[in-house]
Amino acid sequence: MEAPPVTVMPVTGGSINMMEYLLQGSVLDQALESLLHRLRGLCDNMEPETFIDHELVYLLKGQQGNPFILRARHSLSHPAVPWHLRYLGQPEAGDKSRHALVRNCLDVSASHSLPDFLNEMGFRLDHEFVANGHIFRRGALKVVVSKLSRVLVPGNTENTERLSLSYLVELSVLAPAGQDTVSDDMRSFAEQLKPLVHLEKIDPSKQRH
Amino acid sequence: MQQREEKQLEAAVDSLISRVAHLKNALHSFIYKLENEFERLEWPSVLDNFALVSGQLNTINKLLRNEKTPSFRNQVIIPLELSPDRDDELAKLTEQRVPVFSHEIVPDHLRTKPDPEVEEQEKQLNAEAARIGPEVAQKQIQTLNKLCSNLLEKLNNPRDDRDPESAAMRQNKPSFNPTDTMALVGAVVFGKGLSKCRAPGPVAPGQGPTLQQVTIGGAPGQPGGKIPSSIKTNIKSASMHPYNR
Repeated sequence: MEAPPVTVMPVTGGSINMMEYLLQGSVLDQALESLLHRLRGLCDNMEPETFIDHELVYLLKGQQGNPFILRARHSLSHPAVPWHLRYLGQPEAGDKSRHALVRNCLDVSASHSLPDFLNEMGFRLDHEFVANGHIFRRGALKVVVSKLSRVLVPGNTENTERLSLSYLVELSVLAPAGQDTVSDDMRSFAEQLKPLVHLEKIDPSKQRH
Repeated sequence: MQQREEKQLEAAVDSLISRVAHLKNALHSFIYKLENEFERLEWPSVLDNFALVSGQLNTINKLLRNEKTPSFRNQVIIPLELSPDRDDELAKLTEQRVPVFSHEIVPDHLRTKPDPEVEEQEKQLNAEAARIGPEVAQKQIQTLNKLCSNLLEKLNNPRDDRDPESAAMRQNKPSFNPTDTMALVGAVVFGKGLSKCRAPGPVAPGQGPTLQQVTIGGAPGQPGGKIPSSIKTNIKSASMHPYNR
């Protein structure tokens, strides 16, 4: 009981502390083709990759502090591939000179019994959504263009309703902590997507409900 | 009258010779560069050399077309004497390129007709032109003209054809909506706008029977109580293991 609450314990997984650098934006449906076209030109020459993922967000409430959140994701188009469990830390505050949002990030592959396991541990499903879209890469940069849909009947991913008339665009890089130069690369890449998309450092804490 | 024409001709030939000499120098230095400095020759400087040569060719063309230049076509050059012996004077004038003024070489240098191969090609083309009927030829000409005028139109009116779309994209129709961005980010981060699964009763999919207990105990908005605390201890031990090894 005297141990610090789960929610305030630092996550130190593996030997390297990986950070996710993130820029976000959105693009209207009618401009999607232009964006994809531009991304095909800018990014590594590879087969266009599409995905349909189902993300389940689990909460663990401690007695105090913020709840502990884990995200479980699995592919609907390839049901056989392992689940993906992800922890995202709070975005690092301050430092206006940095061009991207930086947060702790931990990725783990998991077996298909992940939801059961999380429930056993006391996690509760907070919300779920379906994301489908396209992935592009340029070196270490990853661009995900996805349409978010809400799940109308819990657990039934067939029955969904799109969330908005826009696609979410996320530009992210995983790098060890302290490698802030990657944010400069991201900035210059984001510049090339203007005026189609404005990728920005969006502090989510400012728009919490 | 005749004297004046002769003077004009002489002046024209002189200026032509000097222009050709300039051209020759430019070509000479370009070839020298290509042969000796190709390792550090930059593409822009190659283009510069081409521009120089083409500019000089243009001035020569202008000179020939100038009204004041007498028509060289009307002048006839007749070889007065042919000899198989070496002519030092000639060799010096031509920079050792033409050492003898012989029967073998004269037809090449004083030729006014195209080369035999070129003549042959021209003949073939003429035969081809005669073979297809005038109607077919007319049709082909029309098609070509149509293609050319279409192309010209496109090239001359780039704004009309291409820009409106992108301009509209830029000004009238924004390609993104900041409100949507906020909504989507909120949804991804906090599940804002997504149906919450925390309502009491419904059980998330794929939950095993053992979980029932936990879910009931941890009803939303009711912190504390007996069961939650037991949950907490469970979690603590469970979550400590994977990370704090």
